[in-house]
Amino acid sequence: MTAIGIRAAAPTDAAECARMLAEASRDRRTVRVVGGMTKSYIGDVGDTDTEVRTSGLAGIVDHVPADLTVTVVGGTRMADLADALARAGQFLPLDPPHADHATIGGIIAANSNGFWRARYGGVRDLLIGTRIALPDGTVARSGGRVVKNVAGYDLNKLITGSFGTLGVIVEATLKVLPVPTARDGVVATFARGPDAFAAASAIARAASRPEAVAVERTARDDWRLIATARGAAAAVARATADARREIKARGGSAAIAADELDELRELPARATDGALVRVAVPIAAQSAFADTAARLEGFATLVADAASGVVRVHVRGDDDAVTRGAEALLLAARMVGGGGRVERRAEHLRARLPASPTRTNGGLLMRRIKDAFDPAGILEPGRSPA
Amino acid sequence: MRGLVDLLGPSKVLGARADLVVYEYDGAVDTATPDAVVLPESTADVSALARFCHEHAVPIVPRGAGTGLSGGAIPVEGGVVVSFARMARIVEIDAANLRAIVQPGVINLHLSTAAAPYGLHFVPDPSSQKACTLGGNVAENSGGPHTLAYGVTTNHVTGLEIVLSDGEVVRLGGKAIEHEGYDLVGTFVGSEGTLGLVTEITVRLVPLPEDKRTLMAAFETMDAASETVSAIIAAGIVPGAIEMMDQLATEAVEAAVHAGYPLDAGAILLVEVDGPRDGLDDIRQRIETICRENGARSIRIAATALERERLWAGRKGAFAAMGRLSPDYYVQDGVIPRTRLPEILRVVKGAGERHHLRVANVFHAGDGNLHPLILFDLRDGPEELERAKAAGLEILTACVEAGGSLTGEHGIGMEKNCYMPLQFAAQDLAAMRRVKEAFDPAGLMNPGKVFPTPSRCREFVLAAAR
Repeated sequence: MTAIGIRAAAPTDAAECARMLAEASRDRRTVRVVGGMTKSYIGDVGDTDTEVRTSGLAGIVDHVPADLTVTVVGGTRMADLADALARAGQFLPLDPPHADHATIGGIIAANSNGFWRARYGGVRDLLIGTRIALPDGTVARSGGRVVKNVAGYDLNKLITGSFGTLGVIVEATLKVLPVPTARDGVVATFARGPDAFAAASAIARAASRPEAVAVERTARDDWRLIATARGAAAAVARATADARREIKARGGSAAIAADELDELRELPARATDGALVRVAVPIAAQSAFADTAARLEGFATLVADAASGVVRVHVRGDDDAVTRGAEALLLAARMVGGGGRVERRAEHLRARLPASPTRTNGGLLMRRIKDAFDPAGILEPGRSPA
Repeated sequence: MRGLVDLLGPSKVLGARADLVVYEYDGAVDTATPDAVVLPESTADVSALARFCHEHAVPIVPRGAGTGLSGGAIPVEGGVVVSFARMARIVEIDAANLRAIVQPGVINLHLSTAAAPYGLHFVPDPSSQKACTLGGNVAENSGGPHTLAYGVTTNHVTGLEIVLSDGEVVRLGGKAIEHEGYDLVGTFVGSEGTLGLVTEITVRLVPLPEDKRTLMAAFETMDAASETVSAIIAAGIVPGAIEMMDQLATEAVEAAVHAGYPLDAGAILLVEVDGPRDGLDDIRQRIETICRENGARSIRIAATALERERLWAGRKGAFAAMGRLSPDYYVQDGVIPRTRLPEILRVVKGAGERHHLRVANVFHAGDGNLHPLILFDLRDGPEELERAKAAGLEILTACVEAGGSLTGEHGIGMEKNCYMPLQFAAQDLAAMRRVKEAFDPAGLMNPGKVFPTPSRCREFVLAAAR
């Protein structure tokens, strides 16, 4: 164990991590779990008695390229994993924000996805095995290292997006893929949001299978669509041709895309003022939702993973407008059968604007699960869903 | 029994001996007679019967079409079997959102048929897809040949309505790709009826691939075919499906389906790639080259849709065709890292030889998901089944030791619950039990499944300790 300060500790193996949680449970000390510190703005977690850092839990346990799987320790940085996989000509098909410093454990705990989800699946689809350090001092395994596995309950799903409230992810096994040979993309502008989303929807479901389809609206008046493809050269050429055709059919003007998605992806990193609302809505509801968002006082930026229906809206300006805007967006998401939360807000808005995830069904079950895994309630107070 | 009739009416409750024996079986080898069978017609019916069972501490066993292969629908501890045969409506095909809402009794293939006019389909395609229900698919987290590239049931369910064992109706998720809070949809899928009863399912629909190329390659040996699978994956190709069949399985399938498989090959690979038409022939060409480099004796490419369907009909009809080889079979479902195929297939062969039983192999090679069909004849005595199970256990043990799993898609059920400690330590099972207790504190949902039970597993535990 490396002592970092009075309140922080960095276990160096899974058993030690579990022991720390057990001790904290016994002493009723609250614990915050810290990976790359990239998403500490999420949720209403305040000061805790202890911080468990996963920085001492890093490294690749096993990578069998021909099996297309990799097993890593939870505190491994995504960037380090990407480097190791690249040396074998493979990649983890996830493009979450903060990928430069985020850890695999943190990405799983926050269910942190990017624009590639519709093509390759999200965290929940790529994660096939976990080991989790629990507050009772044990380390529990779920799933395994094989791509198909229905033995026992799928606790990998439960831990994905649990924000450290159930346990600490000390090891994860993920599906990986060979790096595609070719890539290309198009960027287009539209005068009207509905046209941009109609084009995005058509591109997303095209037989040519794009890798990402995003729509962006800034304080400027036009809507921007970015579609990219990776794969065999012929398939990529076809995908971009299809995208151009759909864009043209809806009155957009297309150009060759550069690295626009990298910028869009990092909106959560940039949105340090005002409020950043993140919602997931049925894909066909995005256009109306985006229209509502763009009319808000204080509207700054909207970025949609248009193929999946995950939309982020940055609202800035005076505190009243920001608060009203954020609340209106969450309501709008609920009205169309989706939901979301205030993902990030300015520090001084924390008290006034709670992370307030939209009320979710199954709250009673979630509370029972939380109580069963963390009976002393030490883990990440303020981030539990129920 | 009388209480159930009073509650739901006589048309929804079966209690006569002659009716109950029909519900003794599923697709596996274990049997048990229910105390009553209920055929609910609505969520309200399901909730009412669950409340009744909760009040009287009666076990509840959900049942779809009874095609399951691990005894999941068998009322091993008695109680009420709930058949969803009358909740079989496709509620909505929402093409704009790429979703469908269905009742649990809808047959898997019917959904894809209903979605086809929109250019969409439901991806998981178990071999039993003409009969099995989506409720059963959710319970078992079913797979199928085409899940290699596109995922199994859990990757295609975004919302559920469930009834807990105390009768409470809970809606989880919906049409959006994710929802706030814990992913209880993902936690529920694959729970084998032990957490609650599914009354409505929201699934993803996926655009049909524009085109496909289906290729059959014949090899001298299973080893050569296995190496080919590894080589295809290693080359960066992830086909829609890679299926393997050994000579014994081929013999049965040819006699039944006349798919045109060569009878003298040691192993056959069925490989399908799909996607945009552009580049598809290049990929097929690369696969063909890899097959030849690994000693493929002959390669046939399906020239027409009809020919492709025949090749697949052979594969999907394989279990049914086993009747031509043997009156009974016991199918295993272990998974291994795909690079370990050759050595584990040798273990399979050895297990059959040691127990003097023939074993046919027909399986999802691309996923490393084995399906050894252990052939036996119950007419020779009940010990035949025990021998088959002993051979099966040897195979499963090897799978787990190779870093794999007891089951890839058939479930643990009552068939392998005693084997769970092979794969999971006490603390792993304890974590799962916490989830069980959160959903079903009374322990009435499908008891005797998934988790080892002290009474039935004592013998196995003792044997393992020796």
